[in-house]
Amino acid sequence: MTKQEQLQQILRELKQALPELRSVVVASVDGLPIVHDSSDAPRVAAMAATALGLGRRISQTTELGSLEETIVRGNHGYFVVYAAGEKGVLAVSAPAGANLGLIHLEAREFASRLAQTL
Amino acid sequence: MEPLKVVVSGPVGSGKSTFVRTLSETAIVDTDAFASEPIGKDMTTVALDYGTLRLDGQLLYLFGTPGQQRFDFMWDILTEGALGLVLLVRGDRPQDFPQARRQLDYLLSRQPVPYVVGVTRQDKPPVWGPEEVALYLGQPSEYVVGLNATDPKSAVQPLLRLLELML
Repeated sequence: MTKQEQLQQILRELKQALPELRSVVVASVDGLPIVHDSSDAPRVAAMAATALGLGRRISQTTELGSLEETIVRGNHGYFVVYAAGEKGVLAVSAPAGANLGLIHLEAREFASRLAQTL
Repeated sequence: MEPLKVVVSGPVGSGKSTFVRTLSETAIVDTDAFASEPIGKDMTTVALDYGTLRLDGQLLYLFGTPGQQRFDFMWDILTEGALGLVLLVRGDRPQDFPQARRQLDYLLSRQPVPYVVGVTRQDKPPVWGPEEVALYLGQPSEYVVGLNATDPKSAVQPLLRLLELML
């Protein structure tokens, strides 16, 4: 399998593990989409990289240690950005009422798989 | 005097982060990430750069933007409430001039503020001088200043010009 196919496979498995996700975007830390199922991937990828970069800086400045995730919660749902190693970003969006604990549990594990593949 | 918020923008690699780092008198906030495309350097700004300095008794807040078009939402966010704009462009990369012009037009359409174009790398000839870049951009020559973003005495020139234009 090529790297792209492996990443596609991880994306599919993540969607299977968390069917309630609205969309998933894997991007480079400088905001370019790598694999995704979003109709708005370029924009979401850039925003995810910004959220991760800013989150990392805040985490560092306020002595929170290394960043685990950045969460945006609106009244219609969540947008959560996870670090996928040094090079990648995993961004998922989920509707309001989604099980955030379960999303974290699965997404963190998939983020570390992505980190090894990227 | 109220602090003055100044946005520092321009194409990728024009020296925005270096400019803020060189001039800030307080600890800077930067948001560098590994660049995954060939842009001539390893790291690139993904959210903002922030620094402050005092100039002729005036406190300035510098907000540097990312350079890539895909981060244009940050251009909008950072120009909110700005009172001045410094647009940097590399004097040795004329291929960046069209992008610099588009970016200047975009930013001024969002926030019509006093501005100065800074032409970087004046210490690395061959390089376009400020007068030539002013002609290219169709800007009055007093709005375009040459600088070397790594040298504090030189980097401060666009800000001094901006303060003159604002008074």
